[in-house]
Amino acid sequence: MKLFTATHFKFALLVAIVTMFVTATASAQNAKIQTSQLDALAAKATETVDVNIDESLMQMTAKFLSNKDPDEAKVKELVNGLKGIYVRSFEFETEGQYSAADLESIRSQLRNSSWDRIVNINSKKEGAVEVYLMHSAGVISGLAVLATDPKEVTIVNIVGPVDLEKLSALEGNFGVPVLGIEYPKTKRKNDE
Amino acid sequence: MKKLIAIGLVFIALAGGVPPVHAKGDDFNDVVKLIEHFYHVKHQGVPLLARAGIKTATTVARISGGRGRQLAEAGSVKVAYFEDQDFKSNADYLRFKSAITAALAGKWSPLIQVASPKEQEQTYIYLRDAGEKFNVMVVTLESREACVVQVNLSPSTLAKLMQNPDEMGNAITIDATQD
Repeated sequence: MKLFTATHFKFALLVAIVTMFVTATASAQNAKIQTSQLDALAAKATETVDVNIDESLMQMTAKFLSNKDPDEAKVKELVNGLKGIYVRSFEFETEGQYSAADLESIRSQLRNSSWDRIVNINSKKEGAVEVYLMHSAGVISGLAVLATDPKEVTIVNIVGPVDLEKLSALEGNFGVPVLGIEYPKTKRKNDE
Repeated sequence: MKKLIAIGLVFIALAGGVPPVHAKGDDFNDVVKLIEHFYHVKHQGVPLLARAGIKTATTVARISGGRGRQLAEAGSVKVAYFEDQDFKSNADYLRFKSAITAALAGKWSPLIQVASPKEQEQTYIYLRDAGEKFNVMVVTLESREACVVQVNLSPSTLAKLMQNPDEMGNAITIDATQD
């Protein structure tokens, strides 16, 4: 009877560990934004860019970047633990080539309660920039940037633990465009 | 005379073991064939003979794993050129993107895809894990020329290039084909 109980306990422990692992993995996966609905915009765009750096590539990159080179070490520290970087960008020759409805598929994912909008800038001259963070168990597990102007749409999606204070160092690397965003340390959408 | 030199150099290059473009079950070959069928063009296996002389000799040396290589592993380079041919005749780049995606699906991971229909330029970079190294395929199409390059890269070289994927295609293509 004692053995039976111990076996059950071990089994329950194993199930709990597996569940925790699966939950953590699922949370990280959820931070990946589905962008395939934007494919239709490509037909009207004068330039399209898709960058897909998945977890295995991300970790390989982190592993082989040098600790001795200060620049590489900085990037290495930043990308360590990241599960992916995905960028999609569309440039148009004229205004009015896309509408709010075209971006609804992205916005509807970001309206999910696990995403918080931490930056929302609207400028007629500069366009609009929205930055969203996903938190899982108190830790940032993903970031999404939606930058639009009348002739351009850019979506940057970083999956994994992101250090906001060092994030600007990632701009210009790994296909992430230079967005010039000053990321706040921690700011929830209710704080705006 | 130049033509003779070129032919001679090409013969030497071929005899020296330039990787064959037509290998069975070869994704590189499949992509080359795809471009040929889609755009009704024909590739040249060795970078352009007509340039002849030292340029060709150096390029051939590079292709067969010779001196001066900086990125690709020795002997790992495959190149197919399409020069002075019409890539405007079928300007539907979205269909081409779908076709190349389908051809390499499940075998290669798309790293970066850039298309500028206005400039009639397309660049595709695909990666494949090959054990201790990575296979990288770069496909570049412009209005009058195209190039398919496949190289083996060490993880450390790839890691460095990954920092700037926008320039990666250019760097690999130039390394594989130019002095």
